[in-house]
Amino acid sequence: MKNNSMWSFKLSTAALVLIPAAVGINFIGKLFASLLKLPLWVDSIGTVLSSMLAGPIVGALTGIVNNVFYGFTTSPVSFVYAITSAVIGLVTGIMAYKGWISNVGKAIVLGLVVGFIAAIVSTPLNIMFWEGTTDNVWGDALFALLLSKDMPLYLASFADSIVVDVPDKVITVLLSYLIFKGLPKNVKNMYDNTGEIERL
Amino acid sequence: MNNMTLYVKKDSPIHTVDPLTKLLFAFYSVILTYILSSHLPVLLILLTTFIVLLTGKVFKYILPVIGVSFLLIISIIIIQGFFHPSRATVLFEIGPITIYKEGFSIAFLIALRVINMVAAFGVLIFTTKPDDLVNALLHKGLSPRFGYVLLSVLQIIPQMVSLTGKITDAQRARGMETEGSLWLRFKSFIPLLGPVVLNSLNETRERSIALEIRGFNAKGKRTYLREIEIYRHSRSLKILMTVVFMSVIVWRFVI
Repeated sequence: MKNNSMWSFKLSTAALVLIPAAVGINFIGKLFASLLKLPLWVDSIGTVLSSMLAGPIVGALTGIVNNVFYGFTTSPVSFVYAITSAVIGLVTGIMAYKGWISNVGKAIVLGLVVGFIAAIVSTPLNIMFWEGTTDNVWGDALFALLLSKDMPLYLASFADSIVVDVPDKVITVLLSYLIFKGLPKNVKNMYDNTGEIERL
Repeated sequence: MNNMTLYVKKDSPIHTVDPLTKLLFAFYSVILTYILSSHLPVLLILLTTFIVLLTGKVFKYILPVIGVSFLLIISIIIIQGFFHPSRATVLFEIGPITIYKEGFSIAFLIALRVINMVAAFGVLIFTTKPDDLVNALLHKGLSPRFGYVLLSVLQIIPQMVSLTGKITDAQRARGMETEGSLWLRFKSFIPLLGPVVLNSLNETRERSIALEIRGFNAKGKRTYLREIEIYRHSRSLKILMTVVFMSVIVWRFVI
């Protein structure tokens, strides 16, 4: 067990190739969510999964590449949230390394933390770029309600992000956790920088 | 080869501009609309961006992309118009609903900024092939390994989408329900996503072996398959834009 800190990660070929695959998984997750008409985004399964597999740095890179890709293909507005995506990857990677994916209960806690932090990161972005609104009907309805009760803007905007991000990230992390648990060992070992045998 | 990009092949002056110059244009344009906080200058910047789009013969393609952000724009106008904290002056009333002048004014400004953000990046996206952009970045010193990552996203996603069609059919043939109550639809999420994930992770294994065999990690000087394109006026355009950008900042904060 030498040199297995989560930060001492050299970007191996396997880890680099994981990034586009994870962006693809994000895309497919979103596609299925809309195909099945689920009332959630579920658009970061790939980011979360890549963090669980290959650590916070790969997770953060996946998040950034994901939003840059969306920026170039669907809507440039998603460039703004590249930071949020990166933080989601970073937080998941760190917590997964510290053992927060050892059972379902812990995975739910991980989802709550990720959702909470994602909301914290999104709020200043939302205020800076569009005075606090998000793109979600339920969140924005709450935002409007809180503003009409004369709550400060940042608090209303934070509440707006929380009601959207927390449930979405809990579901996302839970789904990723279930998939991660089901992956065969040789796939998991491929990204594990301590696995000498499987090193390509 | 792939249908993921929004690139439109046209013959226009904007298409022949250096991708990095267009990237710089997009950044300057977006930053300026956020530095300037009154309607007229932002509107002028938006008009400039539209003129660039028209010159690039891609103006009609920007409309659906603005459409994607339409929900955001609408929600900004409604919510800020009704509820912005600085509301004081009534603009007009529709029954019990009151629209306030201050909120509406701010909402209009934000809407202009959002449209400009979409349009400014649209200039880059519609008139630049992703390959050319990555190529230009590589010549500026981006790691070739990372350049590969950026470009392969565009190739992997269409492959994965076609795979999902097969998997959905296969699971339906096994009797899985994909329509019905919310819980029923939710339950089918994992059996649909699981195989795609496993398959694509397995493919990364083969792909990384194939790449390493072909010298992906090789050290030493790299050669390029594609010739370095010579873009005219690249430097002068960048200098011109930077001068305009800087003078606006000076005008805004000093004078």
